[in-house]
Amino acid sequence: MSNKDKIKVLYIDDEQNNLVSFKAAFRFDYNVYIANNTDEAIAHLRQHHDISVILSDQKMPDKTGVEFFEEIRKEFPNPVRILITGYADIESVINAINRGHVFRYIKKPWSEEDIRSSIDQAHKFYITTALLAIKNEELQKAYNELDKFAYSATHDMRGPILSVLGIIDLSKNTSDVSEIKSMLDMMENAMLKLDNYIQNLHDYYSIRRGEVEIEEIQFADLSKEVCDIYEVTSKMNNVKFTTKVSQDVPFRSDDVSLKIILNNLLSNAFKYQRKDIQDKYVDLNITVSATSATITVKDNGIGIAENNINQIFNMFFRATNEEVGSGFGLYNVKDALGKLGGKIDVHSVHGDGTTFTVTIPSK
Amino acid sequence: MSEPLNFIVVDDSKLDCFIAEKIIKNTGRSASVNTFQQASDALVYIRTLKPLQEPTIVFVDIQMPVMNGFEFVEAFEALSEEIRKGYSIFMLSSSINENDIAKVKGYSSVKQFLNKPLTNNAMTVVLEQFS
Repeated sequence: MSNKDKIKVLYIDDEQNNLVSFKAAFRFDYNVYIANNTDEAIAHLRQHHDISVILSDQKMPDKTGVEFFEEIRKEFPNPVRILITGYADIESVINAINRGHVFRYIKKPWSEEDIRSSIDQAHKFYITTALLAIKNEELQKAYNELDKFAYSATHDMRGPILSVLGIIDLSKNTSDVSEIKSMLDMMENAMLKLDNYIQNLHDYYSIRRGEVEIEEIQFADLSKEVCDIYEVTSKMNNVKFTTKVSQDVPFRSDDVSLKIILNNLLSNAFKYQRKDIQDKYVDLNITVSATSATITVKDNGIGIAENNINQIFNMFFRATNEEVGSGFGLYNVKDALGKLGGKIDVHSVHGDGTTFTVTIPSK
Repeated sequence: MSEPLNFIVVDDSKLDCFIAEKIIKNTGRSASVNTFQQASDALVYIRTLKPLQEPTIVFVDIQMPVMNGFEFVEAFEALSEEIRKGYSIFMLSSSINENDIAKVKGYSSVKQFLNKPLTNNAMTVVLEQFS
C-alpha cells in the first residue's frame, strides 16, 4: 500500500513513551500522527482534513479524552473517535459512548490486535458515513433539478402545444385560405420548437444517466458530421462558416458528449447573430495535442451582457429573447464537460461577438 | 355599443402575440393593439405614452426571459398613480404552478390570472368587465 492510501490516524497521549511505541507499532500499517497535548492534536486535524480515526487517552493533564472529543466535534465532525482508558475511568467512558461521542473504547494496556481491529472498523464506519453524505448531496441536487425541471416542462412543453390550440381555435372562425395557410406555418414552427426542446431533453438525459464510452476520436469525421447541419444554416442565413481541424495524434474521449458540446456551441453561434450586419461569421477551430483537445467557437453575433456571463451555464437561464431557446444548451455543455473532465472559458463583448474555448483532456 | 379599448400584449412568443392580436381584433372593440416580445419595451411604451381617454387592457405572460411577467408587474406598480390608473392587467401563463397562481393574487394591479391559450370565449368573459 502506498503511503497515500494508508488510513490516517491521530493518537493523543500525554505520555511520550506511549506515543513512541504506538507509532513504532503501527507506522507500517497506518499513516500515524501523534500529539502529546490537545493543541497539537487540533493543529494536526486542521492540517490534515482526511484523518479518519482519532485515538485519545482519557487521562491527560489539561483535559480528559472525552472533553477533548466533545470540544472538537463541531469543527471536525467526520473523524471517528476511539477512547483509550484505564479500567478506573469506566464510568465516564460509558457516558461518553452513550452520548454518541465515542465509537469504541480500548482498555489499557492495549494489545496491538485490539487497536488494529478498532481502527479498521472505525475507518469503515468513516467511509460509509462519508459516502452517505456524498449520496445525500447528490440526491439533494437531483431533487432541486427535478423541481426546476417540472416547472420548466409545463412552460416549455406546454407552451407550443397551447399556442397550436390557440391557433386552431382562431382558425375555426377563418375562411380565408391564405390566412389558414399562414396559421399552418405558425403551427409548424411551434411544433419544431417543441421537438427541439425534447431533443435537448434527450441530450440532457444521455449525459446525466449515460455512462461515458471512451473511444478513439477522429475530430475531422466528428466535426463533419456535426457541421453538415450548419452548412445549410450558414447558406440560408448568410453567415460565413469556417472550420479548421488539426489532429496528428490519437485522441480518446466520449463521442456522444463531444457531439453534444459541439452541437450546442455551434447552434448558439448561428442563432445569436446580429441580423443587421453584412459580414456575419462563425469560426470553428479544433486543435489536438497529445494530452488534450482545444475547441474554439467564435462568432461576431450579439454577444452576452457582462452581468449575465456568470449565469449562462445555469439550467433554464436565458440572457435574451431574441431567438427561441430552451435554456438547456449551455447547461448540457457544462454537464458533458464535467463528465469528460474538461473546462470551458467564455469571452464575450456585448454587441460584438462571443468566443467559447473548450479544453478536454484525452483519456 | 360598448366603449372602445386599448390593448397591450406582452409575450416572448411571437406566435402567442399573434394569437392574442387576432382574438382582440375579432372582438371589434380595439381602438389599438400593441404587442411586445420584451417586457421592458412594453414598460417604456407605457411610461412614455400620454394618458389615453379609453382604458387599456394589458395581457402579460408570466414566463419570459430577461424580464418576466412578475418583474414587469412590479415595475409597473412602481410607476406613478397618474400613469397607472388607466390600466387593467391580466396575467397569462401556460404554467399550472400553484405558486405562480398564488403569487398573482398578491399584486393589486393584476385583475385576474388566465390560462393559455387565450381564446375567443375567454376574451369575451374578460371584456364583460368593461361594458
